[in-house]
Order: sequence, then structure tokens, then C-alpha cells
Amino acid sequence: MWSLITPLLYLAIFTFVFSQAFPDIKNYPLYALTGLIFWNFYSHASITTIESVINSRGLLKSINVETIALPISEVLTSLINLFFSFIPFGVLMFIFGATISWNTLLIFPLIILFALFTLGVGIFLCAFNIYFRDVGFLYNSLSSALFYFTPIAYSATLIPDRFIYLVKLNPLYHFMEIFRRVLYYSEMPSLKEWGIVFGITAFIFSLGVVTFKRLEKGFISNY
Amino acid sequence: MNIHGKNKDLIISAKDLHVGFLVTKHGVNNFKDFLLTFGIRNLFEYHEVLKGINLEIYRGESFGILGRNGSGKSTFLRAVSGIMKPSKGELIVNGKVAPMMALGVGLEPELTGIENIRLLGTLMGFTKKEINKTTDKIIEFSELSQYDIESQVKRYSQGMIARLAFSITVAKTPEILIVDEALTVGDMGFKQKCADRIDEIRKSGSTILFVSHHLEDIKSICSRACYFKEGLVNKVGDIDEIMELYTSEMGVRKA
Repeated sequence: MWSLITPLLYLAIFTFVFSQAFPDIKNYPLYALTGLIFWNFYSHASITTIESVINSRGLLKSINVETIALPISEVLTSLINLFFSFIPFGVLMFIFGATISWNTLLIFPLIILFALFTLGVGIFLCAFNIYFRDVGFLYNSLSSALFYFTPIAYSATLIPDRFIYLVKLNPLYHFMEIFRRVLYYSEMPSLKEWGIVFGITAFIFSLGVVTFKRLEKGFISNY
Repeated sequence: MNIHGKNKDLIISAKDLHVGFLVTKHGVNNFKDFLLTFGIRNLFEYHEVLKGINLEIYRGESFGILGRNGSGKSTFLRAVSGIMKPSKGELIVNGKVAPMMALGVGLEPELTGIENIRLLGTLMGFTKKEINKTTDKIIEFSELSQYDIESQVKRYSQGMIARLAFSITVAKTPEILIVDEALTVGDMGFKQKCADRIDEIRKSGSTILFVSHHLEDIKSICSRACYFKEGLVNKVGDIDEIMELYTSEMGVRKA
């Protein structure tokens, strides 16, 4: 329920504020929405994942459970929320004039990749957050900067060529582009786009798992 | 699992058991500190708590563990229940361990009592049927009212939390029961009830590991005990012997 309110509110604000500022984006509400849904998933999932282990420290001190199950369950919860939010947002997208084709189905494998990426980011920071309790705070404040650093409310085409390489360093940029490719343009993403997204996911996910597993044995003494 | 042929009834056996963990460098407690002390090469350091424990506990006995605060008693119990992994040496546990619910730290404060029972049941690997069956038993044993059991655990008093935690722990007769100072809270009536239940579990042939600083409690339950000192087992022996050592050690420190 609350997971729907936030993006809707943002959508209203963006449409109101930015649609005049970016007149060259066709169908601005749809453009913003296709980015916002996934940003909302990412930001909610990553923040809850980072805090997941700390919040259940009492439990982890009492029962022998696989620690990594907690962050995974947080991402799954966000994933379920995301799927539920597709019902109203699907209707909205339709109203805004999205074209639905077989290509739309590609969104599902993409979401799986995105969820694994998010889990990777989450568990990486989660592991450090147990030793340094301010990592979570830092991430929370940086994430609003990350939001504006990612082309969600605006289009990457507006960025001068000199700076585009900076934007391309942001993994979320590539995810946003590929989500839009499918939902906004209703096109099949190119092999290169698939490759980039797949590579990012594989790298971040394995980095997260390795870090988490390495630091896991010290968790209990730092709760 | 290698069970030694001679002692078939050995339930817990520790051989040169080392348990330690990674902690952040002393004094570096948050990321800000880390940035301010840059130049630190190793972010983490290894801190050893158990420094080579040798201990044998037999099936069906009640074993007391005594020692100063911080001597590694709880760490040893956590290693036995699998929450902490040994870093060196060998630890064999031949039985299912009940959860260690010291003072109800495992309860989720935002959930109601009954939700906590279900959550812990699920995490302990019980099926839905088993949970339904034991839930009523747990509530009955805890003597919490219907109203209390349906309120969030954060509204519980310490005594109520202890009641619920203990009731969950002993709902099923475990092969190994770990009692870590659990009897220090709760009113007289409940204390007696806990002691009775522990006795019942003991008589059914389960092994009990008992940590407490209340000598009478230990004496009434345990027959054998050990004394932990600075991460090592200082002495294993008869309960009276260990109690004597414990009192004298404490006495020396007081002087």
C-alpha cells in the first residue's frame, strides 16, 4: 500500500515540475513512471537489506539460522511489492499510452537481474554496516544524491557529451536505460545492453556474496 | 561425525577448540573513525575468545559451567548451538540443540507474542502442524493472558519476556538444553515451574548445559561442572569441587 504512494507522489511532482522543463521528452509521465517504479524498488530494497541483519540481531544470537536468509527475504519482500505495484501502474501506463507487445515480457528477466544486483549492493553494505554502524546512515543520505545522479526524472540525452562517461559509471543508469527500452520504447534491447546489465549484475552480486560470507563470522561479536 | 568407539554416549566433545571473531580495530567503531584514522592497513583484527577448550560432556548428564564474566562461557554455548563457528580445533555435537533464549533477546519486539511463537517455530524448522500443536502448550506454560499474548512484545515487562522465552525454549523436549541465566528473572512461582520443567527434561534423558552465577541453582541441577578461566577450561570435576574453586577465585578477586 505505502509502496504505491511514494512513486505516485513523486510522479505527480515530477510531472508538475519537470514536464515543462524537459519539453523534448515525449510523454513525460510515462517516461518518469518507467524509471520511478524501479528506483522505488531499488531504494526500498537496498535500505531494508542493509538494516536487515542488524534489526534481527537478537534472533541471530539465539538461533542458528543462515544469516544471509535475512537480506534475501528483504529483497523478496520488495520484489513482491514491485509485482503488486504493477497492477495499478500497468493501468496507469496504459492510460499514458504505453504500447504493450511481446517485448514487454522481457521485463521479467530484467527484474530478476535487477533484484540480484540490488541484493548484491545490499549485502555488501549490510556486511560493513554491522562493523561500522554509520554505513547505513551514509548510504541513506547518499541515495538521494544517487537518485538525481541517475536519469530517472530527466533523460541522459540532456547530459553534455563531456560528462556522459561519468553517468555511465553509474550502474543504475544502465538498468534504467534497459527498462525504458522495454517499457517506454517497447523495443528489444540490443545484445550490448543485455551484456552490460548482465555483467554488472554478475560482478556486483558476486562481490556482495563474497564480502558477506567473508565478514559473516565476525557479525555476532559486533551486534 | 566421528563418534569415538569407547564413549558412545559422548554428546559434546571439544578438542582444542578455538573460537574467535573478526572485530574492527580497537577504537575504530564507525566509518567516520576509519576515515579519520586512515593509514590503518588492517581494518579488522582477529580476537580470540576460546583459546583451546578441551571438554567432554556425556549424554544425559547435567553439566554446569562456572566462570567469571567474560571468560567465554556464552561463547562456548553459542559454539555448541552452532551460532558461532569454530576457527580451529574440533567440536562434535551429537544432538539437536534447543535455541538459546537467554533473556528473550531472540524475540522480535514489534511482533505480538503469538507471532513470535510462530516465527521462532518456523525458524527452528517445525512444520505448520507442529507449530499449531505446540502454540497452545507454550501459551499455557507461560501463563500469559490472552490479551498479553496478543500484544506486541515491546509492551511486555522483563518478567513476561522471560516467561515467553523460556516457554518457547522448553516447548519441545530437546536433546540438548542450554540454560544461560534464564532462571534469574520471573517471579517465585514461575521460577519453581521452570525448575520443575528442567528437571522433567533432565529425567527424560536430555543433556543440560547450565550457566549461572547462582550456586544453589547449579547445585540443585548439576552433578558435574567445569570452571572457565580466560578462554580455557581451568578445571573439570565434581560440582562441589568446582563450586569451591569458584568461590575461592571470586574471593581472591574481591580482596
